[in-house]
Amino acid sequence: MNTIDSLLLGFHVAFQWDVLWYAFLGCVVGTLVGVLPGIGPLSGMSILLPATYGLDATKAVIMLAGIYYGSQYGGSTTSILMRIPGEASSVMTCIDGYAMAQKGRAGAALCIAAVGSWIAGTFGVVVLTVIAPPLANFALRFGPPEYVALLVLGLIFLAYMSSTSLPKTLLMASVGLLLGTIGIDNMTGHFRFSFDIPELGDGIGIVPVAVGLFGLGEILSTPAANVVGKVMTPKLRELLPTRKEWQESAMPITRGTVLGFLIGLTPGSAHIISSFLSYAVERRFSKHPEEFGHGAVAGVAGPESANNAASTGAFVPMLALGVPTGPITAVLIAALVVHGVQVGPQLVTEHPDVFWGFVASMYVGNLMLLALNLPLVGLFVNVLRIPYAYLYPLVIMFCIIGVYTVNNSIVDVWIMLIMGLLGYGLRKFGLDAAPLVLGLVISPTFEMSLRQSLIMSNGNWLIFFQRPIAIALFCACAFLLFLALLSVVRARKDWRAKLAEAEAGEPSS
Amino acid sequence: MLRSDHVTSAACVVFGICVFAMSTDLPTGAWSMPGAGLFPKLLGAFIIGFGFLLLIRARDSVPFADIDWKDLPHALRVAVITAVAIACYETGGFILTMALMMFAFLVGAERKNVFRAALYSAGVTVLTYFLFTVALKTPLEQGLLKF
Repeated sequence: MNTIDSLLLGFHVAFQWDVLWYAFLGCVVGTLVGVLPGIGPLSGMSILLPATYGLDATKAVIMLAGIYYGSQYGGSTTSILMRIPGEASSVMTCIDGYAMAQKGRAGAALCIAAVGSWIAGTFGVVVLTVIAPPLANFALRFGPPEYVALLVLGLIFLAYMSSTSLPKTLLMASVGLLLGTIGIDNMTGHFRFSFDIPELGDGIGIVPVAVGLFGLGEILSTPAANVVGKVMTPKLRELLPTRKEWQESAMPITRGTVLGFLIGLTPGSAHIISSFLSYAVERRFSKHPEEFGHGAVAGVAGPESANNAASTGAFVPMLALGVPTGPITAVLIAALVVHGVQVGPQLVTEHPDVFWGFVASMYVGNLMLLALNLPLVGLFVNVLRIPYAYLYPLVIMFCIIGVYTVNNSIVDVWIMLIMGLLGYGLRKFGLDAAPLVLGLVISPTFEMSLRQSLIMSNGNWLIFFQRPIAIALFCACAFLLFLALLSVVRARKDWRAKLAEAEAGEPSS
Repeated sequence: MLRSDHVTSAACVVFGICVFAMSTDLPTGAWSMPGAGLFPKLLGAFIIGFGFLLLIRARDSVPFADIDWKDLPHALRVAVITAVAIACYETGGFILTMALMMFAFLVGAERKNVFRAALYSAGVTVLTYFLFTVALKTPLEQGLLKF
């Protein structure tokens, strides 16, 4: 079957009424998650993961992916109207989006953000359609040493791209890898760190950890008294940008789309990084850089396109290689595994309906989001009128339901609470929880591949430097470590340090 | 001056040592046949190593005394109420435990009007119960009271 036939199969799956319904549901929930400050796509997906257990794998992954890319659309709404980033990737949109809103161009900013997001999302899916299957074919050549090299590269790339320091990211990833060793060892049957708690025999699930660290952790560190904001609702007739605004946004959308997709392929918080880099690129390319910070159209169009393209790009390594590039794709992998679908290079051949149905649903989902985010923006903004003091108890209730229903295990809910407290503590000490979740997810594959490699080579570590693909991947690791070391030696404030400042809420205009 | 990274570093070293101590009963095996204890011990060593690495640029981190703990009382209240709810969940069942938990959040932590809080807690909990059990076909915990 060629790509066109496969895509037609995908559309056949995606256009079934029930699949369309779940794609729509995912897009609506995603937009709400993006609009609401304090609930990110990861916590939204984690909380709703158990609700997908009654669905088949295709519908489950389509709904969860809808939440992810829907949140990228919704995140721009609060950034533009309230200067509150609905989620981290919308931080850069706050600067010029809110400035445009102050000048009475809130509708135009929202429209440019939505159209840019749609173009970027659709471009991302087209490229995904073309490159994911050949990449999956290539990945069939991977053995255990190549997987070890790939996962090491993923961790080092994550650490390099991270806004916190490299040792801190690798430290958190190591803790995550360690958490992943809890339970019965698959090769020898030994119980590890289970402290005579039978529920821990199966290990720690990603859901309690992700919901605890990101959902509950966020609530613990956000007192209700601190969440205030004036809600501005643009009228429908104010949504159309002027001809000049369209012209000013064309190239930033194009550049943001390409840049965002390329960054999305790499591990880390690609959707956040891409919006920051896109903003920097647009300011560099602009004939009027002095307008940035005061309502530059390019400052909205570029970052919004980039974060959507990045969120689609992140699906390429997940679908083609079975490797999560971040905690969000890790949750999607967990959803597929729960339904008995093993993610990896064989996904495209063994489950073409899931793979192509998922790809086709993203074309449809992006259209749905465009329709949802423009005419209904006033409706979504109204959600922000619910006082946070009434909202967070509801979120905690959903966290408990979500975690408990995975295994009907109260131990999982206790783990969620412990992780929530850990997440609160990590924030205080400037540590990022995302690498921990990524480490937890890749831990079983990493350990199994490492041990298999050592058994294959009779204990010779040189096996990792005797196979061309593994050598290439380790060379990339060495190069990244060299770059990281260089920035330490020069002690210069590079783009990653500036990203950290922006994420902390101090965007430099 | 004590910095946040100094504290993180010390915690990592202690945690890494604990990992080694807890892994003593796990066989390390040989390089040619790694045992169940090899990977955890490697990770324990890495955690200690990264802990020491943090010390290199610890002076650039926030002074420990400057960390803002103003939200700690709120966090503790939320954590305690959640912990009590988790402890009672299987016995009390979904509706009773969750309604009481939400009421406790609204009245105990947020000082909201008692009548409104009771109405909101009961209404939202019952709606959620029907959403999950009827619409999503996900049975929720019934507890001793069977609802």
